[in-house]
Amino acid sequence: MTTAALSAAPAPRKFGVDVSKPVLYAFAAALCVLIVLPLSWLVLYSFTDAQGALTFSNFYRLFTESTFLEPLITTFIIATSSATICCAVAAPMGWLVARTDLPFSSVVRALVTASFVTPPFLGAIAWEILAAPNSGLLNKTYRAITGAGQDSHLFNIYSIEGIVFVISCYTFPYVFVLVANSLDRTPGELEDASSILGGGRWYTARRVTIPLVLPALLAGALVAFLQAMTLFGSPAILALPAGFHTMTTKIWSLFQFPPKPELAAAASLPLLILTVFLLRAEHMILGRRGFSVVGGKYGAPRLIPLHRWRWPASILCLMVLMLPVFLPYAALLNATFSPVATTFVTFKNATMHNVHFVLFELSAASLALKNTVILGTATATIGTAIALVIAYVAARQAVPGHRLLGFLATAPIAIPGIVLGVGLFLSYTRPPFVLYGTLWILLIAFVTIALPSAYQQLRAAIRSIHPELEDASRILGATRLRSLWQITAPLLRTGVIATWCFVFVGVMRELSAAIILFTSETKVISVLIYDLNESGDLGAISVIGIGMLIITFAVVIAVNRIPGFGNVRFRT
Amino acid sequence: MASVELRNLTKRYGPLAVVDDISLTIEHGKLVCLLGPSGCGKTTTLRLLAGFVDPSAGEILVGDRLISSPANTVPPERRNMSMIFQSYALWPHMTVAENIIYGLKLRKLPRDLIGAKLDAILATTKLAALAERYPGELSGGQQQRVALARALIVEPETLLLDEPLSNLDANLREEMRFEVRRLHDTYRYTTVYVTHDQSEAMTTADVICVMNGGKIEQAGSPEEIYDRPRSEFVARFIGSSNVVKGKGLDGGRIELAGIALQCSGERVVPGAPTAVSIRPHGITLTATPPQKNADNVLPATVVRQVFLGDSRDYMVELKDGTQLRTVTAPADNIPHGSAVWLHLPAERCRALTG
Repeated sequence: MTTAALSAAPAPRKFGVDVSKPVLYAFAAALCVLIVLPLSWLVLYSFTDAQGALTFSNFYRLFTESTFLEPLITTFIIATSSATICCAVAAPMGWLVARTDLPFSSVVRALVTASFVTPPFLGAIAWEILAAPNSGLLNKTYRAITGAGQDSHLFNIYSIEGIVFVISCYTFPYVFVLVANSLDRTPGELEDASSILGGGRWYTARRVTIPLVLPALLAGALVAFLQAMTLFGSPAILALPAGFHTMTTKIWSLFQFPPKPELAAAASLPLLILTVFLLRAEHMILGRRGFSVVGGKYGAPRLIPLHRWRWPASILCLMVLMLPVFLPYAALLNATFSPVATTFVTFKNATMHNVHFVLFELSAASLALKNTVILGTATATIGTAIALVIAYVAARQAVPGHRLLGFLATAPIAIPGIVLGVGLFLSYTRPPFVLYGTLWILLIAFVTIALPSAYQQLRAAIRSIHPELEDASRILGATRLRSLWQITAPLLRTGVIATWCFVFVGVMRELSAAIILFTSETKVISVLIYDLNESGDLGAISVIGIGMLIITFAVVIAVNRIPGFGNVRFRT
Repeated sequence: MASVELRNLTKRYGPLAVVDDISLTIEHGKLVCLLGPSGCGKTTTLRLLAGFVDPSAGEILVGDRLISSPANTVPPERRNMSMIFQSYALWPHMTVAENIIYGLKLRKLPRDLIGAKLDAILATTKLAALAERYPGELSGGQQQRVALARALIVEPETLLLDEPLSNLDANLREEMRFEVRRLHDTYRYTTVYVTHDQSEAMTTADVICVMNGGKIEQAGSPEEIYDRPRSEFVARFIGSSNVVKGKGLDGGRIELAGIALQCSGERVVPGAPTAVSIRPHGITLTATPPQKNADNVLPATVVRQVFLGDSRDYMVELKDGTQLRTVTAPADNIPHGSAVWLHLPAERCRALTG
């Protein structure tokens, strides 16, 4: 019996020459270098001192010195408050949009998407223009209306409250999408079943609807916490002028002269561990949600009539959405055409100076644009290609070990951008790979960051193609390669193009890793915006920012028309 | 002229044998149905035939050409077979015509010959008006016919069908059964047809292989399978049947409710518990006692009866509590609780194995 079982070990399929194994190993090795190398250096550095001796002193300093403890506490406060605010705003809004007869609910959804895809650092700069204590447009308006003195102000964006507010503005869509999707997918019959058994509307909401959505809300809170914790742009723009640090800005500052990479590595580790832990928790919470769809066919959910609350609710939603969308966009537009970013544009003072400055005078702009286009194109092409091969192998289970490849491709999602930046800096400033100062190191960073979402999108695209479509081609006489070329490739084309565009846009908005890895010759657009903010060129930022937004919206709108691509998370 | 032969074919996934030591010879031009419940290994057998799966043991031959063995598997594209898939697998980015001529283009036929063959098959399958449509614009039945046309136009040696009618509604399914048979009779290729629907198998097949747990329980003509089931599984799976347990006696008889019943079928081992199958319409039910000493007659009581329009359905109970189903003419109205006599002809009582 045993011999029979042994001889029955699955024989590899024959395609003439069996190339599947080498391909698998090559990809696994490449992914390991991509992910394991920077993380290993990160861990190694965090346990060594400047001379290279083994030590725990980095962690000791991290958890005892007030210059490190304070950012830690600040980050915790910001992340917790942001997550709470996001849930408080997004949950009711998600319910209103998905389950009630709210007027303009599709407009609300579109505006939430708009705040979703706005780069958070751009939003932070826009809110600087709006709510800086002295020059902010809102404060100026306040003084003009009330006649208050020059030093009085209504809002101060350079504060913990200000940071929490701006982060919430661009993080609440994560919670909204999870809650609204969960409600969209929860069949209305589940609520009808409660009603027919005698449950009133509010009883049903309390006992059926809310428990069904709770996991999504909880997962959303974790994601919001994670976003707020790992964000670099907004705190760097708003906290540094106010004179305090968050973890991410602290890590960044450790790379300023004189650099202390061991401390930066030690400070990165808690962020990494917490991210892995929170993503595990999110996965567990959402993974148990299966009970919400049990068998049978379901109709569309029954919308709850709001009666006289319809219009107030709708107006309230739009008012809330003024904060992440209307006001900041208006501020950017104003700054674009105004001689000074923080004065209102009028017909008299309107100017094209900023546009002219960015296009023809700002020499850094053309370099950054060139670098961004090169990196965007290369990252999108390489990232999509790697993701495509891995996704195909994983979806078709074509080679043994496909699970490992899939895991490696999704693993970078748990590495915050700034942590990856630190790890790559440590890995590639030394022989044998001296890549620091070249575009290569940024390319590696961007490919690593782009890989998880590219992989997930393409896997979904491949899974939507029934394997029998390929089988049918083969039984009619086509080889495996020919079937891929004639059947699979045309069917995947839209998915591949969409993924490519998403990766490109993602590169354009990446700041956390780039801020650690750039040098003066390898600046990209996002870093340029950050620099321009430091030098106060808000008009130029607005021109570049609006350009970025236009490209992003074009891609998002085009891609949202493709089925199955509705929910894509941008990394920030 | 090529027969298809499966020799001790086995497919294991880990310790689980999905296809377990199957041997079967299919003569050229026959339509063989692999029939069984889901998970019985019939689809895996078909995919082994197509070359999408490698066998763990055993081999497949077409004529005297070895096409599958654990050591070497001829890839699907070099088997000169065609297959119709459960999902139809029509390529959504090609029109009906492009879908159909795909295989001919691969065979590098001259353009005018391809055109002529396309026109012929479009006419046969009544698709001429739809040639330029995309599959997404067709109804289920039309898609099914495109799948048929695409598979047939390459004139395969062997045609494989994987539950081809399971996605159609009931009326269309009935119509397409005869269509499949008609096309088979026209072209006369060797056909292997996988289904879990026994009436589909009955109407189309020359030979039915009833599969269970990765093994062939019984292979034979539809009449053989229906009238002379050899195992309890086959008796229960094909049509409705009373399967009762009795004790084996000598001379092929079985003791049931204290009466010796002459049976046909498998050999009866005296003293061993033996299952007997008898179809409801194989039982003759009478309200009056028959002549004394008549063979194979059992007294019973009516437990329940239902008028079904063209027949009457009875549930009767024997002395030992065994219940049997039987049917009579609609006019034979015997009230519930009445004593009746059942005549079970020996040739209808099939002793079973297992």
